[in-house]
Amino acid sequence: MTFRQFAFKNVTRNKRLYAAYFLSILFTVMVFFTFAIFSFHPVLSADGFNSSVTKGMNIAGGIIYVFSFFFILYAMSSFLQSRKKEFGLLMMQGMSLKQLRTMVFLENMVIGFFATIGGILIGLVFAKLILLLAENVLVIDNSLNFYFPIEAILLSFLSFIVLFFFISLFVSYILRSKKLGDLIKGNKKFRGEPKANIFLTLIAIILLAAGYIVALVTEGMDVLAVMLPVIIVVTIGTYLLFTQLSVFIIHKLKKNESVFWYKTNMILFSDLSFRLKDNARTFFMVAMVSTVAFSAIGTLFGFQTLLTEGIKIGNPNTFTYTLNDSEEQDVAFINKTLLDEGIETETAQANLRYFEIAEDPHILIAKETDYNQLANLIGEENIEIQDGQVFVVEYEGMEDFAQTDELLNQAIKLNSGETLKPNANEVIYSRALPATDSYYVVSDHDYEELATIPTHEESFHAWQATEGEQGVLEAAEKLYSELPPYEITAGAYDVYQINKQYSPILFVGLFIGIVFFVSAGSFLYFRLYMDLDEDKQKFKSIAKMGLSNKELKKVLNRQIMILFFAPIIVALIHGAVALTALSHMFFYDLLKESIIVLSAFFVIQVIYFFIVRFFYTKQIKAEIL
Amino acid sequence: MLNVKEVSKIYEGKMAYRALTDINLTIETGEFVGIMGPSGSGKTTLLNMIATIDEPTTGEILINEKNPHKLKKDALAKFRRQELGFVFQDFNLLHTLTVEENIVLPLTLDGTKVKVMKNKANEIAEKLGITHIMQKRTYEISGGQAQRVAIARAMIHTPKLLLADEPTGNLDSKSSKDVMEMLQTINQKERTTMMLVTHDPQAASYCNRVVFIRDGKFYSEIHRGDNRQAFFQKIIDTLSLLGGDGHDLSSIRL
Repeated sequence: MTFRQFAFKNVTRNKRLYAAYFLSILFTVMVFFTFAIFSFHPVLSADGFNSSVTKGMNIAGGIIYVFSFFFILYAMSSFLQSRKKEFGLLMMQGMSLKQLRTMVFLENMVIGFFATIGGILIGLVFAKLILLLAENVLVIDNSLNFYFPIEAILLSFLSFIVLFFFISLFVSYILRSKKLGDLIKGNKKFRGEPKANIFLTLIAIILLAAGYIVALVTEGMDVLAVMLPVIIVVTIGTYLLFTQLSVFIIHKLKKNESVFWYKTNMILFSDLSFRLKDNARTFFMVAMVSTVAFSAIGTLFGFQTLLTEGIKIGNPNTFTYTLNDSEEQDVAFINKTLLDEGIETETAQANLRYFEIAEDPHILIAKETDYNQLANLIGEENIEIQDGQVFVVEYEGMEDFAQTDELLNQAIKLNSGETLKPNANEVIYSRALPATDSYYVVSDHDYEELATIPTHEESFHAWQATEGEQGVLEAAEKLYSELPPYEITAGAYDVYQINKQYSPILFVGLFIGIVFFVSAGSFLYFRLYMDLDEDKQKFKSIAKMGLSNKELKKVLNRQIMILFFAPIIVALIHGAVALTALSHMFFYDLLKESIIVLSAFFVIQVIYFFIVRFFYTKQIKAEIL
Repeated sequence: MLNVKEVSKIYEGKMAYRALTDINLTIETGEFVGIMGPSGSGKTTLLNMIATIDEPTTGEILINEKNPHKLKKDALAKFRRQELGFVFQDFNLLHTLTVEENIVLPLTLDGTKVKVMKNKANEIAEKLGITHIMQKRTYEISGGQAQRVAIARAMIHTPKLLLADEPTGNLDSKSSKDVMEMLQTINQKERTTMMLVTHDPQAASYCNRVVFIRDGKFYSEIHRGDNRQAFFQKIIDTLSLLGGDGHDLSSIRL
């Protein structure tokens, strides 16, 4: 058996030990590879995409690569930590440190090679799925068909082989000058109970509270100004939260004997302060990485809603055409185009007159017939107006821009010398007319009698598709190219245009966010498994004294739950605060989007938790019996 | 109190291995019985089966006329922590807990009131002379003290049967003597039934009776008279007849 054979056999005959490490590398490679497949796709790299998007993709690829580097480095160092005892044994047999490094280097190259190949193969299998997904998230004209991604394969393979080479060199750093005795003992070192520094504990609370309050209170552009300081303060606060505050709380719980001495609590809490202290840095990292993922995805998602929602609300009609003097020709062209595309529509027309009221020259006064006609078109209720009566209409969904109260205080003069005065209970919420400001509606008779001269008048045409909606986008494209902008509007097409430009950013953001989040979960998994041996020992000795299955499950459940959710809960709270601050900046309510994004992540984490708990409990149980 | 009837144990696997063959053993209430035998003779297997950690392949084990192996898993766990007490060679203390917390652990699992636990712990600590180390952590105390803590933990719920697996295996001769004297005192004062598995003839000489097994079979049994010294000599003689390996005789401590 040569030395190289020994290293090789070490890996191949000990698959179980290496499995977790191998799988996480495989996963990383797969993520990178799928991203590469996507960014090298001929459709995307050809013409449809502009260069800034391609650039963005490359940067995103770079970020994933750098992140992979640190992730694999972390995975490897925790893997090596758990093999201390084995290394000690080998060194006792006379293996030199240099040989040990060579062995680990060779092992790593073997694992890295197979993991890279495996990741690429699995990536290929899922490639079509990813492309389909991308096709749906991205709004692209051509479909993304499957192709054989030679470039992507080469790039992934070479990048990861290089990455493994460099990471394997890091081994010498990780395995630096450890005493043989320490290695053989493994992690079995007795330590005093971790103590929290009261001063630092208080600082943690103060920093977090201050950061949160500032983030929640500021509005508008101030948010940008306070962003950096708040991030720094909260980051330090989070670090202290995990290193000091958590230990402090557990310590207080332990002091309280009626809690600590109650049933299985003793087994649970006794270890927890050690675990929390040991894992503080991992938790901190996971919390921050997850926060970034939550905030980034929340922001992107929120932005998209912010951009498209306004258009959707502002355009209840399929097509609208507005011109100061009605142009029969254009209207005929629109009708013809709609006919060509097979879109059946209902249509309505109104002449909209704007008046100067209370020094605002753009106050619309509409007549009953026009209003009812357009309200009918989008399926809203008609109103009945008596002569001498006036209604104030507020645009539904644009409450922020409404000046209903101002209009309610004004009066409209008629030729007869009478004045129309609106009542506060005659306010209607509707989207019938194209005015984001509030406006008046009067009876047809009073409309003709208006005393003031309109500041301007425009003809407004609206089409509402009843059949053949699938042709709307194409019709809109034709119309947009033929007619001057601002005269023709198709809400669906505007939304489509925004989505088209915005979706690559959203996709890349989602992708990176998910990568961050999943790797954060894997960090936790690794940490947990490093404690597995210790836990096996502990539960074995307790089981001899008598610990029922139910109690064991209870303890393990709570322990894993605390270790698994502590950083995520913190990240969720951080993320919620960040998104709230963001919505303050844009004066736009992101509550719905935040809840969707945060709860989606939470659900993923819960699923992850169940999987990890299942395997962990199984391993511990196997040891006890 | 304890009735082991025709118990055999075969470990299945690629290499089936017969660890015990037709062992019979009866222990009366209040008795202190030692099990001795060379390495690999099946002492610990026997103890583990009595401790309900392992199950016999054939035969049955009755503790107070009941067969604990017929209990369901959870009931078995309860049985273990209420009726049995364990002392191990490596103490098996949890190093994240203080001495006092280690002692009350079996009671906390049963949900006993804190006040009751405190009283019991103090009472037993006084008996074993470990009151002054109650607040210490396990790595701050000596091996002898650790074993006394383990005995305190095993005794706190006044078990019917105390099982000790090489309790002196990790201790120096002075601590061994202290621990064995302590077990003897508990046995005499509290009338707790005890079973001890050991290599150490010195430790075994504190028992009322020593049972020898070899290669998984009953070999012989000797009773202690009034004189511990003479009993120790008898044990040595039996061991030398028993053969075993040199290791068994190496730890003569007089």
